Amino acid sequence: MHIRKALITAAGPGQGALPLQRLVDRDGAEKTALEMIIEEIDSAGIESIGIVISPGNEDAYRRAAGPYIDRLSFVIQETPTGYGQALLCAKDFIEDSPFLHLVGDHLYLSNSGKRCAQQLIEVAEQEECSVSAVYPTKEKMLPYFGAIGGQRLPQTDRLYSVKKVIEKPTPTLAEQELTIAGFRSGIYLCFFGIHVLTPMVLQILDELVSKSNRPVPLAEALQELASRERYLGCEVEGQRYNIGIKYGLLNTQLALSLSGVDRDQVLSDMIELLAVR
Amino acid sequence: MKTEQSASTQSNPWMETIVSLEDSTRHRTLESLCEGLDSNELLKAASELDVFRRKTDNLYHRVRAHFFLAAIYRYYLPLTFSEERAGLLPYEAYQHILERRFPEAIDQLLTVQKNDGPTVAISSAIARAYHQLGIQTLADQVRRSVKTVRGNQWMFRIGHPTEHPLRLNKSLLQWNLEAETYPILCEKTSVRMDFSHSGWSDIFFLGMDYPEGARVLNASVNLGVYGRDAEPKPPVEAYLRVIDRPVLRLVSTDLGAEAEITEIDEVFDFAKDYLGLLKGALIASGVIPPAMEGCHRKMSELLATIIGREGCGLELVSKVNDIPKGSRLAVSTNLLGCLISVLMRATGQVPSLEGGLAVADQRLITARAILGEWLGGSGGGWQDSGGIWQGIKRIEGVLASESDPEFGISRGRLLPHHTILDEKHIPLNAREALQESLVLIYGGMAQNVGPILEMVTEKYLVRANKEWKARLRAIEIFEAIVDSLKQGNIKQVAELTTENFTGPLQTIIPWCTNRFTDSMIEQCRARWGSQFWGFLMLGGMSGGGMGFFFDPSIQPQAKVWLLDALVATKRAMQMRLPFAMDPVVYDFTINDWGSWAEMLTGTQAVMPDGYYAILAPKLIRKDLRELSPQSQRELMWLNRSCRSGETRARWLLDRILPQPADTNSHADQLKNLLKENGFDREQHEQIRTDLLNGRIGLAENRLPRQSVIEDVGRDDVIDLRDRSAWNDKTADGESGRQAIAANQVAVVTLAAGVGSRWTGGAGVVKGLHPFCKFSGKHRSFIEIHLAKSRQTSRLYGAKIPHVFTTGYLTHGPTENHLNEVSNYRYPGEVLLSRGMSVGLRMIPTVRDLKFFWQEMPHQVLDEQQQKVRESGQAAIMGWAHTAGEAGDYTDNLPFQCMHPVGHWYEIPNMMRNGSLHRMLQSQPTLKYLMLHNIDTLGASLDPLVLSRHIDSRACLSFEVISRRIDDRGGGLALVDGKRRLVEGMAMPNDRDEFKLTYYSSMTTWIDIDKLLATFQLSREDLSSSEMVDTAVRNLGNKLPTYITIKDVKKRWGLGQEDVFPVTQFEKLWGDMSTLTSIDCEYIAVEIMRGQQLKEPGQLDGWVRDGSAAYVERLCDFG
Repeated sequence: MHIRKALITAAGPGQGALPLQRLVDRDGAEKTALEMIIEEIDSAGIESIGIVISPGNEDAYRRAAGPYIDRLSFVIQETPTGYGQALLCAKDFIEDSPFLHLVGDHLYLSNSGKRCAQQLIEVAEQEECSVSAVYPTKEKMLPYFGAIGGQRLPQTDRLYSVKKVIEKPTPTLAEQELTIAGFRSGIYLCFFGIHVLTPMVLQILDELVSKSNRPVPLAEALQELASRERYLGCEVEGQRYNIGIKYGLLNTQLALSLSGVDRDQVLSDMIELLAVR
Repeated sequence: MKTEQSASTQSNPWMETIVSLEDSTRHRTLESLCEGLDSNELLKAASELDVFRRKTDNLYHRVRAHFFLAAIYRYYLPLTFSEERAGLLPYEAYQHILERRFPEAIDQLLTVQKNDGPTVAISSAIARAYHQLGIQTLADQVRRSVKTVRGNQWMFRIGHPTEHPLRLNKSLLQWNLEAETYPILCEKTSVRMDFSHSGWSDIFFLGMDYPEGARVLNASVNLGVYGRDAEPKPPVEAYLRVIDRPVLRLVSTDLGAEAEITEIDEVFDFAKDYLGLLKGALIASGVIPPAMEGCHRKMSELLATIIGREGCGLELVSKVNDIPKGSRLAVSTNLLGCLISVLMRATGQVPSLEGGLAVADQRLITARAILGEWLGGSGGGWQDSGGIWQGIKRIEGVLASESDPEFGISRGRLLPHHTILDEKHIPLNAREALQESLVLIYGGMAQNVGPILEMVTEKYLVRANKEWKARLRAIEIFEAIVDSLKQGNIKQVAELTTENFTGPLQTIIPWCTNRFTDSMIEQCRARWGSQFWGFLMLGGMSGGGMGFFFDPSIQPQAKVWLLDALVATKRAMQMRLPFAMDPVVYDFTINDWGSWAEMLTGTQAVMPDGYYAILAPKLIRKDLRELSPQSQRELMWLNRSCRSGETRARWLLDRILPQPADTNSHADQLKNLLKENGFDREQHEQIRTDLLNGRIGLAENRLPRQSVIEDVGRDDVIDLRDRSAWNDKTADGESGRQAIAANQVAVVTLAAGVGSRWTGGAGVVKGLHPFCKFSGKHRSFIEIHLAKSRQTSRLYGAKIPHVFTTGYLTHGPTENHLNEVSNYRYPGEVLLSRGMSVGLRMIPTVRDLKFFWQEMPHQVLDEQQQKVRESGQAAIMGWAHTAGEAGDYTDNLPFQCMHPVGHWYEIPNMMRNGSLHRMLQSQPTLKYLMLHNIDTLGASLDPLVLSRHIDSRACLSFEVISRRIDDRGGGLALVDGKRRLVEGMAMPNDRDEFKLTYYSSMTTWIDIDKLLATFQLSREDLSSSEMVDTAVRNLGNKLPTYITIKDVKKRWGLGQEDVFPVTQFEKLWGDMSTLTSIDCEYIAVEIMRGQQLKEPGQLDGWVRDGSAAYVERLCDFG
């Protein structure tokens, strides 16, 4: 399996402006969030990138894409009917091939030499199946993420065979359905915001959307995927940062700066700030 | 499951029985294990069992060993040694037991036993400690299991409101612009009816050890009160909505209570008000996780996290459609389940916001309801939340498998398996036939079934012989009931449930029936003959919820008749048995959809009527500007609604404006009753002043601290405890026999008291309570006492007058009853000596309440129950403070506001009311009286004891017995070197009672002339009421007055009961022994003769240890 395409979703209500935000990256260079997401994708050897946006946002995105504009294909979701529907809009772009998928309101920082997307693509190509990046998450964060249940693959440290996928589960349901051996109580594997998906996902989404006229979450399709195909979760070495929540952008910037070349400067600025405020 | 069949266990039959996987060995009975063992062999077995229970890591093996040990020490070992080996109880061990440090108590008691040999006192204490430890171990395990159920665990980790992982469903936040309302989520739930009753097998302990035998047939039913409701409907409802203030508002429309909660900790204060069930539901549903107890955070923080919006709150409302408490249909548990369900739907834990529930959700809610019951300090069986489920289902215990958290700990799972028996299993016509035949009723009795469930558990775990056989038969009957129902043969179902009730159930627990139930069955048989098909007991015991099967062709007429018969029978028995309210007949239908929710939106988003009756007056009294916009809109809605409906306007006015006083009010009745019963206002005011000044009170009951309390020596008592020592000596007892034969003896039974402990302050006549079956019939205390006098009378050809002293509460009912039964055809004279004085109860002082709860010894309860108890005590202290300390207690029925003034007055009353004078005139030969308590059932005119009294030439001879752990309340002592009886509350120090070998049974032999001389009276003087009054007053002034705290029940609503502690005063008979002018003797008698039955919970042990048989041998029922 070779992954050549990537799809970013940025058409959710209130999401349109997020990838346009400017931040300073680890190297001290100022970039838009969109550029950073594309760099994440680019590092994984992806050839073409699709981005699902709301009508009227294309010009702003073109400006924010910087040097990567030529590799971008824009897909317009006319009305915000749902996450699953957004992916379906890009069916023609995907062209029946496996693809990398990232959400437009998250940035990722790797703890190893390899970027998070790259780690995931390597696993997917090796295992030849859909793989979602997952991250051990405390139960208090369950209202914000999709989560998986399953078993650790024998002879591996970070791979899980996914049996159950639930979008924003209650802790009650999580405890019943998503407990994974080896994890402490109250810790669940939640989605990281990066997936490698096979075309089967789009087929399932198609079926689900045609069956009911309602927003279809990706998690619902992934649950079905788990029953039809081999589907893995991969604990990536890195952190995710949601720029769409309160103080999300600030936290993301701090994380970038404190792991980059400007660490000392940012730290001393913070101490100074603490001293006077 | 681990097997522990090591060589050592196999060689010991007890351990072999406990650990065996073979049913035939595992189910060996206690009787077969104890058969033929002497004292040493029993002690050896106990010692080995004790070693085993300490070593084994299997919970149920340990628990079974505890119960075997308790039974050995309670029922078998004491029979092997003489009562003369009375022994003393170490105070520290007793304290350990009270503080629930059972292992420490056992260690200490076993050490004493090892050093001093087995004694009556030590055996009884060891038995209690093992028993309690067994129950505690089981309760702990159920609690652990509830916590470890998947889906419940997270709630024990989330301790901070901002970490709360639940979010309110957004639909509940959709404001309706037109109606200006938030939607209301409304849940309606049925209750459950168990029409198999497989021997209380839904007790968790049973289901977890013997899942094969744990099974019930449980139907969800809608109810309507016959004659009142148009049609049956789900009886419990819950409502939830968002409100525009950041508080948690709880409203119970059925109990008329509401509260606005602003601190999270308040939710854990269960007994503060009547909202404990709603609070339990909030916790068990995870909305306020149990781990947040004691977090000291604001409710607004938590609400903001859950609702996702600052400034908003939640309102939870409960409603029970006027179904009485104690209906045995698990109304409370199903209301809890209903509340939990609505909260879990609203927070997404149950996926469907509206409509029915999926099986997985029903299971989860069932688990949460169990958790809620545990939090509230109560605990039903695992079938109780059956109303959440739909239709008729078979609920069965399940063997624990490897994936269950119970695996390796107990044989069975905590939660049972439900199989819905739909139309394929039970055809429609069978269900219709059931509804056309069965009449469900509530008998009106509300009783605590807790002791019964404990008895059932113990009897199961030790495999008591006949009880075990009965259980096996109940299981067979269960299967036959299911088969009959499948075939639609309702007549056969009725026969089987009747057989179950009269056979297995009453064999396991004889106390599950009572005279009321038996009478109703007899009446049904007499009136309807073969058209009465059978009886069904619901729940833990009869008298509350019950079922009567009739031929469908006459069921409508039978229903009308049954209601009349129930009410008439209740009226006839209401002074003898604790009824909470009048009986009710229900209409019922089987509920086929289970718990059901719907969203009320727009103009439909209205709370039930009872809600506005509680909230509207409160809102109206406030300034409009102080009300939130939502409250203002609700008042506007109410205004419109009142204009269009006169009924609502009327009840609103009734709630707001004062009502004219009832001309025949309780206050007037009380005033008259006090006047009629010799109430002394002057004395009452003096007591109030002294109480408030601190001159009298619980602490002041005690003797001076410097008093020296010592045990009496061997020569200080006449020891008649060892019967075998004198039975053969024919000369012994001769003077007693002669006195009886010469018509010199009469019996005085004290029956004036209100039996607070027996009835829990219910205000019924203990003496008339038909509490136990003798010779195949329920007999009352009074009947048994007369039967003993009859036997003595026949044996000696003697005339024995029998006096029952009565009080304001007991006189009328006792007199009527004895007239009705013609004194049970007693051959001699039966007299009633009516009490001549009465007191008015007072609201206790906070000082006395603190002393009572904090200084006096009390058994600490299981952790959660103790929390609830302490929360209730805090509320009661608040009540005493606000209602006015030492104020008159008048907020109850008049009889419940009065109190008897102590049994010292009973003999003086016989002088004052002329009954003693009349007795002596009609039978001048009388020389002796035997005075005894109504509950001292073994007291009889024993010629030997009487002869000792006569020979001693004493004025009074008090009987004492070897003390056991239950015998608290003073005893025979040397006080500063003088022999006398000391009341428990007069002990200078709690430890002092533990120095005393003998407990006073209160039975007293009286030399009439010597006693009269003490009063400075002669037989002739008894005709002068002036002389008698003066004599009584003079002697009474020499005796101490005690302040006591007693429980009194206040009944309200539909079967609701509150218990209040109230202050009263009393003078006690035992203090006659303090007077130097009276020559007293003390006779030690056997325990069975002197023991008292104070609480119904003692009954089972009383039968099992042979005491009941002992009493029956003394009786002649004619």
